[in-house]
Amino acid sequence: MRLVLYTGKGGVGKTTTAAATAACAAERGVRTLVVSSDVAHSLGDVFDTELSSVPVTLAPKLDAIELDARVEINRHYGAIREYLVELFRYQGIDDVVADELALLPGAEEVTALLAVEEFAQSAAYDLVVVDCAPTGSTLRLVALPEMLSGVLRFLPSLARLASAVVSPWAQAVFSVPLPKSPVFRDLQKLVDERAVQLRRRLAASDTTVRIVATPERMVIEEARRAYMELSLFELRCDAVVMNRLLPASAGEEEFFQDWCTLQAQRHRELEELFAPVWVVDAPLQRDEVVGLDAVSAHGREIFAEVEPHAVLSEAPRLRFTKTKAGHRVHLPLPGASPEDLEVTVVEGELIVRAGSRRRSIRLPPRIARLALEFARVDAGSLVVGFREPA
Amino acid sequence: MRVLLHTGKGGVGKTTMALTTALGAAMHGHRTFVLSTDAAHSLGDALGASLGPEACEVAPGVTVRELSVLDELDDAWSVVQEWLAVFLRGEARHSGDAEEEAPMVAEELLAFPGLEELIALRAIRQVEASGAYDVCVVDCAPTGSTLRLLRFPDVLRFLMENVFDWKRRSMRLVRPLARRVRADRFVPSEEVFAAVERLYADVTGVRQILLDGDRTSARLVVNPARVVVDETRRSFAYLSLYGVATDALLVNRVLPPDARSGYFSRWAEREREELHQIDRSFPVPRFEFPLQRTEPIGVEALMGLARAVFGDQDPAGFFSKSRPIRLRKEAGSTILEIDLPNVSNEEVEVVAAGRDLVVRVRDAQRLISLPDSVVGRPLEEVRLLDGVLAVSFAP
Repeated sequence: MRLVLYTGKGGVGKTTTAAATAACAAERGVRTLVVSSDVAHSLGDVFDTELSSVPVTLAPKLDAIELDARVEINRHYGAIREYLVELFRYQGIDDVVADELALLPGAEEVTALLAVEEFAQSAAYDLVVVDCAPTGSTLRLVALPEMLSGVLRFLPSLARLASAVVSPWAQAVFSVPLPKSPVFRDLQKLVDERAVQLRRRLAASDTTVRIVATPERMVIEEARRAYMELSLFELRCDAVVMNRLLPASAGEEEFFQDWCTLQAQRHRELEELFAPVWVVDAPLQRDEVVGLDAVSAHGREIFAEVEPHAVLSEAPRLRFTKTKAGHRVHLPLPGASPEDLEVTVVEGELIVRAGSRRRSIRLPPRIARLALEFARVDAGSLVVGFREPA
Repeated sequence: MRVLLHTGKGGVGKTTMALTTALGAAMHGHRTFVLSTDAAHSLGDALGASLGPEACEVAPGVTVRELSVLDELDDAWSVVQEWLAVFLRGEARHSGDAEEEAPMVAEELLAFPGLEELIALRAIRQVEASGAYDVCVVDCAPTGSTLRLLRFPDVLRFLMENVFDWKRRSMRLVRPLARRVRADRFVPSEEVFAAVERLYADVTGVRQILLDGDRTSARLVVNPARVVVDETRRSFAYLSLYGVATDALLVNRVLPPDARSGYFSRWAEREREELHQIDRSFPVPRFEFPLQRTEPIGVEALMGLARAVFGDQDPAGFFSKSRPIRLRKEAGSTILEIDLPNVSNEEVEVVAAGRDLVVRVRDAQRLISLPDSVVGRPLEEVRLLDGVLAVSFAP
């Protein structure tokens, strides 16, 4: 199953783009599901119809769903939730409140991934398009399987911590319930099956992320950050969609002359920044893209030359690693020789010059604070080492 | 000190609006501070200048600062993180796992949603404490995070009252015992408790500022597009539910008369409909920011925009005043009223839970602590009329 995750800064048109991709793919015969995982759902608004937490068929081969974290969480980790509810109720808290609390950290992200995995298993769809929450949360979503397995590995320790704090002394004094075995069984299941599955799904060659951007400086800046961070989690980004580009006919309006020039410039910048990732143009339409007809027409225009479900480009991936000796940045640069390369760090950006080309990589904050230690070419990759500043 | 929170759906132009408001306020003689709490800072971009993490004066009477959320987080939270990391490292050694991962896991475990923004907002208190400013304009993260932030104090208060204090007391009991059974490292030190308590005090302080309708107002930034207006309508109700009063709506990127023809004629029509809709559904004044011929970047361009939009009006003033949550008496009954414009009956759920009233509006939920005089009294009636939710308690 092909999985496409759309992300980007809030308000750039992720939902419309995801909807257009799905509608276009369905028209071309691909069994498609479009999923909204953002709590502030707007997928229904875009299709101008009521959606729910079960798939609704909008057109032949086109289904849509707005996930409800509450429903999903009840389905997926019943026992854990019950434990939390029970724990807090013991302390005089009403169910409703505990229920809400149990929903707090990262719940939407987990549930979205779990649901997607379930659709993948069901084999009912050839393509699942996910309209993610704005960039920050999407990154949490993609980072989650890794974070989960990291955290969960320590979970028995944490449980011991909890017991050390509250039992046996507290158990006797305060009668707090301790996690009963079903809780751990659920968690174990989550780690063993789910987290591994999810990681496999995200790393699969037919899973890609597409970043939606508009031709504005702040938006492009955020897209670059997202791209860097996606590499950090080794996710494939196969396309950047440049949304709300003024078409030629809009450029004829006198008022928009400067905007058109500016946009053309931004478009070039974007292509340079993201090469070899494919840049897809999505024009600003004459009217709001609302309703199935408008969405489908928009999709046909965006994907006039390529298939919406294709993996649009295969970018070599940047990697960050951490060893005992310090942080390393690995940048795949096939065919590069050390003499051709120049590496500098300026204001948190790693700048790599290869011949006349130059690439700047925004470093994760943790690495940006460190000092450049060395740079060498190793098996087709540039490896840059960082250490604690003296 | 007047506090103006600028929030709205992502990409609508919050930063530009916040800076325009600040420059306008300075023109009226106010000493103004602009604080950006969004991790994706864009104050520098909007000013066309490179800003460091320190406060700097960008125009006469206007000081701006982009908070480094990571630093603030370290400052507030590192003691707790270290405690957990030490514990996890010991455990990893014990079970033969990779010890290096412990600090990262500790960090993950302690990164609550909303915590970052909230810690960033502590800076409002510093700005106020300096006594050097009359107005603090806050460029917030998009609405979703801002709402989480408003909700976080509720959750934290709940944890403090129900779990933490309780734990701390039990901890005192446990510590001597723990030492004897070599479980000492499980028990957090006084320092850890102190860090959590300090954070709690800060959060309570920030909350007091945010909820004080006599100095704080939210300004919702919106574009005249349907999806944006729909979401903002919900945000308005949510803010109100959390007790934050919105005093004006800033409509950004309105097509000026010379941009309404040809390719954009249908958009111009849509805009007129939306503006009409806005007037009908938001009970506060609105200001229109016309789309410029190019990106309004830099102090000059933004000052021009301030003059064009606010004219002689002081952008730091109150454009409307209301208390979104209030109590009143009627024939012996006590009535709690909450302004919830544009919300329908099915979207609201009200439950009394001990000392709190749980009010749920779509996906947002608020725990409102009830005054002593009302606690334990039966709910008489819950009714939503003309955008006001009225919950009456029997005498």
